[in-house]
Amino acid sequence: MSNDNVSNLMKGHMESLAKEGKRADGRGINEFRKVTIETGMLNTAEGSAMVHLGNTKVLCGIKMLIGTPYGDSPGSGTMMTSTELAPLADQSFDPGPPREQSIELSRVVDRGIRESRMIDFEGLCIEHGEKVWTVFIDLHILDNGGNLFDCCTLAAAAALSNAKIPNVQHGVADKDVDLPVTCWPISCTFGKLGDSVILDPTSDEEGVMSARFTVAHDENGNLRAAQKGMNGAFTDAEIREAVKTARASDNVLREALKGIQG
Amino acid sequence: MAGQTDMELIKDGVRLDGRKADELREVKIVAGVLDNANGSCYLEWGNNKVYAGVFGPMECHPRHKQKADRAIVQARYTMAPFSVNDRKRPGYDRRSTEISYIASQAFEKVVMVEEFPKASIRVDMQVVEAHAGTRCAAMTAASVALADAGIPMRDMIPACASGKVNDVVVLDLNKEEDNYGQADLPLAIIPSTGEVVLLQLDGHLTPDEFELALDLATSGCMDLYKKMRLALENRYGGSA
Amino acid sequence: MGKESSDKSDSVSSRKLVLPGDLLETKSKPGRGIFRRDGRVHASVLGYSSDQSGYMNVNAITGGYTPKVGDKIVAICVETGPSVWRMDIGASFNSTLHHSESGWKVPFGDTARFLTIGDAIWAEVFMVDAAGSHQISLKKDDCRKLYSGTIVKMGPTNVPRVIGKQGSMITAIREKTQTRILIGQNGHIWIDGKGSDIATAQKAIEMIDNEANSKGLTKKIEKLLEK
Repeated sequence: MSNDNVSNLMKGHMESLAKEGKRADGRGINEFRKVTIETGMLNTAEGSAMVHLGNTKVLCGIKMLIGTPYGDSPGSGTMMTSTELAPLADQSFDPGPPREQSIELSRVVDRGIRESRMIDFEGLCIEHGEKVWTVFIDLHILDNGGNLFDCCTLAAAAALSNAKIPNVQHGVADKDVDLPVTCWPISCTFGKLGDSVILDPTSDEEGVMSARFTVAHDENGNLRAAQKGMNGAFTDAEIREAVKTARASDNVLREALKGIQG
Repeated sequence: MAGQTDMELIKDGVRLDGRKADELREVKIVAGVLDNANGSCYLEWGNNKVYAGVFGPMECHPRHKQKADRAIVQARYTMAPFSVNDRKRPGYDRRSTEISYIASQAFEKVVMVEEFPKASIRVDMQVVEAHAGTRCAAMTAASVALADAGIPMRDMIPACASGKVNDVVVLDLNKEEDNYGQADLPLAIIPSTGEVVLLQLDGHLTPDEFELALDLATSGCMDLYKKMRLALENRYGGSA
Repeated sequence: MGKESSDKSDSVSSRKLVLPGDLLETKSKPGRGIFRRDGRVHASVLGYSSDQSGYMNVNAITGGYTPKVGDKIVAICVETGPSVWRMDIGASFNSTLHHSESGWKVPFGDTARFLTIGDAIWAEVFMVDAAGSHQISLKKDDCRKLYSGTIVKMGPTNVPRVIGKQGSMITAIREKTQTRILIGQNGHIWIDGKGSDIATAQKAIEMIDNEANSKGLTKKIEKLLEK
């Protein structure tokens, strides 16, 4: 249940559980919730994926349109990420223009994919300096059970992994080919709960935690993106520890992603 | 509606997708699919895919929309950017605003709004894949979501469209028929009384064709209603 | 409900799932979850019909909390005013706790010192007016501010299931987890005890909330509590 009004008691209970390495839902402090990924269910999108992370559900659709390249990279395709916090996902998601929350989410997911060079942008060039493919990554949040960052990054990666360039429809070539992908960024999001740091917060935990830290690694264990959010703070040691934990724990999500690549 | 077309959309009583004139596309309805929303529904209708979620009754925001003696229903219809082949820019446009508005009014007829003065009931409809008939799919899903949320209502509202292609009145237009056909008539009714709560017409129908189209859409709604009931019975276990 | 017992005393076989609009054949007087049209009685909510004690009711399976006078509830403070507190009780609107119903001597403007935002109490609904606004009181029975433990939220319609026949389910949960539990009619449940015991009790309650309609639930809960 979405927890708009969190009691101080719940905060105290969660903080003392976390000190013992436990969570209210029975997980350990560095454990991900159950993740399921389904791909290719949308006929109108060039790639699609639905990810469930605990109760959080995100649908991602990839659309590809022909556009013009940026002046400083005439041989590269472009990408754009947007996030829709659908009102049905959370009582506090009002319909209306994108809020700061949605913009921060889009930009962090975007950076994780863009800076990791997940998409081979040179492979999206149609006519050097004139025509390139633009990849639109549209994330549709359907159910906010907490940790939209990791669920969205995973949904975007899964959708890109089954995306096909619509050459035939746009008269570019006589065959559709797979979107060229070079690596797999996986993000891990942590929350500061009292004096403890927990991985993959639920929406209840997000209601009581004081700070958030997201870090994305590629499959070689190198960092590709990071973001600290909310108005609390982590200690220097906590950040370093979280980064190490991320590398150790993200294999769960990586395995799930490998599983759908079939 | 293009109207003029040489395209053969129906020949010898068989449509391009193999259906007869009075046949509905395949419909699948699942109630209670989201955890946060008070009530929810996922619906597939042909290739249409929609999610509906309901919150409330709750305090009405913005305050100036509050009504002293009853609740208001705030329905919103949105299409995801990837729901159509030509990516749609995120956000609301005039079409989705109109659909949201007439949907709100249709629901206010059946929801027992008098029981919740000053409150608001929020209905959100998200189309994630569109192949004609999305407003009917969305409203049908929203009706199931309202029941799933335990909102008191006089009945659920199934919605279904009929139309005309190559001078033949048909039930439930698919995308090609909607693009190249001659008329489109979405309809929503209250099954227990037969009252019409939503009706729109786009195109050209003679008076006789209109009567037939109305009959067809009504029977489509009643078929749909059976599936809506089944979805809720499946979710909540039928007779205990 | 003053004492703990499930009021589902009608036999299981008489429960029938009804949907909004369904006609109910009955000679009994109309109760809750129904509406009348043309002299006949119809269900207004998704629920189980129950024709007993001369009343035709439909007990909703889902839906929020509708406050009734006498209900014991767990409430959370969301706002403090100079002489009142505004409380979240899981209803369509927040409730009011007036300083005169708190049992404390509260100087004007000093309310936050006694109960601040986020604090929780065990209270009773003592007034519901015709317009639907309601007030709660701390002055009845064992009503008090809650200082430890945690609060779990569940659907109010499933509260009878958590209580069980003659309180059997909640007694089992309390005994097996060695916790103190207060069940609010509004679906807000207070649990206190050792951290890991609270977690087990919480899991049991959440399982009942999620699977209230499925068969074999009692066995599943027994298994969970044995661990």
